[in-house]
Amino acid sequence: MLELTEWELEKYKRQIMIPDFGVEGQRKLKNAAVLVTRLGGLGGPAAIWLAAAGIGKLVIAHGGTLTPSNLNRQILMRADGVGQSRIDQAVETLQRFSADTEVIAYGAHANDQNAAEWVAQVDVVCDTSPEFGERLALNRECWRQGKVLVDSGMNGMECQLTVIRPPDTPCLQCLVPELPDWWDPLGFGVLGAVSGALGALTALEAIKMITGYGQPLLGRMLTYDTEDLTFQTFDLHRRPGCPVCGES
Amino acid sequence: MPTIKLPTPLRRFTGQTKTFDTAAATVGEALEALASQFPDIRGALYTDTGDVKSFIRVFLGDQDIEGLQGLQTPLAADAVVSIFPPIAGA
Repeated sequence: MLELTEWELEKYKRQIMIPDFGVEGQRKLKNAAVLVTRLGGLGGPAAIWLAAAGIGKLVIAHGGTLTPSNLNRQILMRADGVGQSRIDQAVETLQRFSADTEVIAYGAHANDQNAAEWVAQVDVVCDTSPEFGERLALNRECWRQGKVLVDSGMNGMECQLTVIRPPDTPCLQCLVPELPDWWDPLGFGVLGAVSGALGALTALEAIKMITGYGQPLLGRMLTYDTEDLTFQTFDLHRRPGCPVCGES
Repeated sequence: MPTIKLPTPLRRFTGQTKTFDTAAATVGEALEALASQFPDIRGALYTDTGDVKSFIRVFLGDQDIEGLQGLQTPLAADAVVSIFPPIAGA
């Protein structure tokens, strides 16, 4: 296990001060790797808070180029980067903010062909895609490899967040056994403050799973409505016959 | 009177209505009353054979009705039923 340098002990001293987090928690973060798929309004803040916390390696993935309408929430991007690769801008921002974090980047979205290779490189996956097919591909691979999946999603002012750990919890396929036929991945409004707050919580759950700190949302789902700031947490149940986790 | 809280992605089927009050006695009757009041939501909630779609989770208070009596779960006068479809992305 890599030890913390004097620079890192100074850089992270404010989070090392947190009771029950300490130097050991920081050392675990340095030796951990996290995959963040999509770097939009949700994944971008998740990635930068993971880098800020001192994650040793970030694997990030996002296809496509930046458009003007991305700029209200995609904080890893630049206003003068419209029309340019989003993954390149994300790498630049993350490494400028935290040069201590190794960043491995893929300019594509997750699918059944690349998920195995990406998931194999990390301890935790943070899935922030607007596409259920992409999320379910990552869920299948996380379950097969026994990796933690932090799954977060939003729609308008509402947010959902849960943590999936094989074989202890229900999996995403239990929650989404078939694709919602009315889902439109770009058919809703987004305030950057809403997606950013959920991105921060997504990073926090990954940090908790890596360090053992606190009580992560294992087998529970947090839902909240930022319009009136009502928060609820529900227990989740494994779906009988689930093709992904039902045999566990 | 029991209330159904409608999630954002389903409000486009209800003219952006956020809550629906009903005198229904069970969760199933409440959902049926909702679909009768707002016919466009029926296809989002129910399959062609009349079952609630597999990805729709329904809660009474903070409990999944699957752990109660399902659609037969009785409703108290102050019951709050929440519908949670899966949501994704930003």
